[in-house]
Amino acid sequence: MFDQLRAFHRPTSVAAALRLVQSERRAGGRGAFVAGGTDLVVQRDRSLRWLVDVSRLPLRYVRQRGRGWAIGATSRLADLEHSAAVQRLADGILAEAAGTAGSRQIRNMGTAGGNLANASPASDLAPPLLVLDASVVIAGRGARRTVPLERFFRGVNRTVLDGGLLVEILIPPPPAPKGGAAAWSFQKLGRLESDIAVVNAAVGVAVDAGGRCTWARVALGAVAPTPLRARGAEALLVGKPFDRPAADAAAARAAEEARPVTDVRSTAAYRREMSRVLVARALAECLEKIGRGR
Amino acid sequence: MPRRPTNRAGGAKNAAESGRAARGAVMPRRPTNRAGGAKNAAESGRASHGTVSDLVIRLRVNGEARRWTVAPGDLLLDVLRREGYWGVKRGCETGECGACAVLLDGEPVNSCLMFAVQAGDRDILTVEGVARGEHLDPIQEAFLDHGGVQCGYCTPAMVLCTKALLERSPHPTEAEVREALGGVLCRCTGYKKPVEAVLAAAASGGGSAAGARAPRRRAAGRRAGR
Repeated sequence: MFDQLRAFHRPTSVAAALRLVQSERRAGGRGAFVAGGTDLVVQRDRSLRWLVDVSRLPLRYVRQRGRGWAIGATSRLADLEHSAAVQRLADGILAEAAGTAGSRQIRNMGTAGGNLANASPASDLAPPLLVLDASVVIAGRGARRTVPLERFFRGVNRTVLDGGLLVEILIPPPPAPKGGAAAWSFQKLGRLESDIAVVNAAVGVAVDAGGRCTWARVALGAVAPTPLRARGAEALLVGKPFDRPAADAAAARAAEEARPVTDVRSTAAYRREMSRVLVARALAECLEKIGRGR
Repeated sequence: MPRRPTNRAGGAKNAAESGRAARGAVMPRRPTNRAGGAKNAAESGRASHGTVSDLVIRLRVNGEARRWTVAPGDLLLDVLRREGYWGVKRGCETGECGACAVLLDGEPVNSCLMFAVQAGDRDILTVEGVARGEHLDPIQEAFLDHGGVQCGYCTPAMVLCTKALLERSPHPTEAEVREALGGVLCRCTGYKKPVEAVLAAAASGGGSAAGARAPRRRAAGRRAGR
């Protein structure tokens, strides 16, 4: 199937991985990083001549970093799903999303870094990570750079990686308003939950003691060339009492911000309508959580 | 446990199930045999082998140490079948159907999505390693007792996914069972009977971790489902 591959490198350090890529590039021929293979193998790109396997790099971890979190790029989707820390973070939206990213076999193979670096518009990790204001750390020529996830995606299967290696995902501490409350929700629509998303969405809302929204994040997947933040919907929420009418207005606005396409899984019109429904459901869940006085 | 089915009829059945794969699977890796036809060369994944440097991997399969020479682009599914582990089924080859699932260090993965090189230094369990000789694992017994096997193509993967499930969760809920089997598509029984079989295996302490119960020996006629 990959009979054109002439080299498969298995380095054990990031520096060695980057050196291998450099020397392969000098030698000519296209290549790629690979970890779980759940996207790369399916894509069957016969122009690949070499692969650098990053699955033996010491990048499989979930660590507290300051008051936030650092997730190593080769953490398996199943690692995030089962990590107690990720389950506690922001109502567990990231763990929940990881738990829907394909069957158990896929989640045992696919990695957090791969889920982002492949830049599928339907990435299940992207909406919750956008809501969490996550950044990614990229190692490449020269110094490591940190890029906000929102600026990481450039199009379908396109990122700002430019040959660099995504090594870590950084999540700052989520808002925890004094006297107020914060809530999060992840929603996904597929034929089955483990199928690729027709639409996926994540939201986060913080309210002050008076129930006024002080911070909001709304993110959607599979409705544009890249996962997107619905900034218009966020702006509609912030500064106003967080209630059902506000939530419904924001959901309608999010659907307007979507730029869906028609493909084998859904029509554009259905995706747009489901964007509204999923954001409304997510905000309703937040409303209910906050109403329960957490 | 012989690496290749000693029963040639069994082999023929496998070949019929997956003609494309089985031809490649029985091809030894000597280059002289690769000239045996364009089709075989394509199947074994190395039409132009000259510039490729083969890699040697050491791994354990069903508890036995193995040392295999593989090409950089060989997928684990292809190598396992080539080495005679025909219980690893070739299905969709895109990670959807799960028929090729094996346990990698105890956890199910789809061997069609994994490069063989990546199995180096790892521990693999295929369905051939689940039974002990003629003694079926209690999970296999349960699949037979509860009619969880029809055409049998998905059965090896279902048995392996069940084994991993019962190792980590000896008394799963039905929802957990359905989640554990969710990555293995069956087009015959509709999942009801496999799910019943797994729940029954769990109820009887069927996880091999529990292991207390000696497996019964089956009359030959009942093993047809394998």
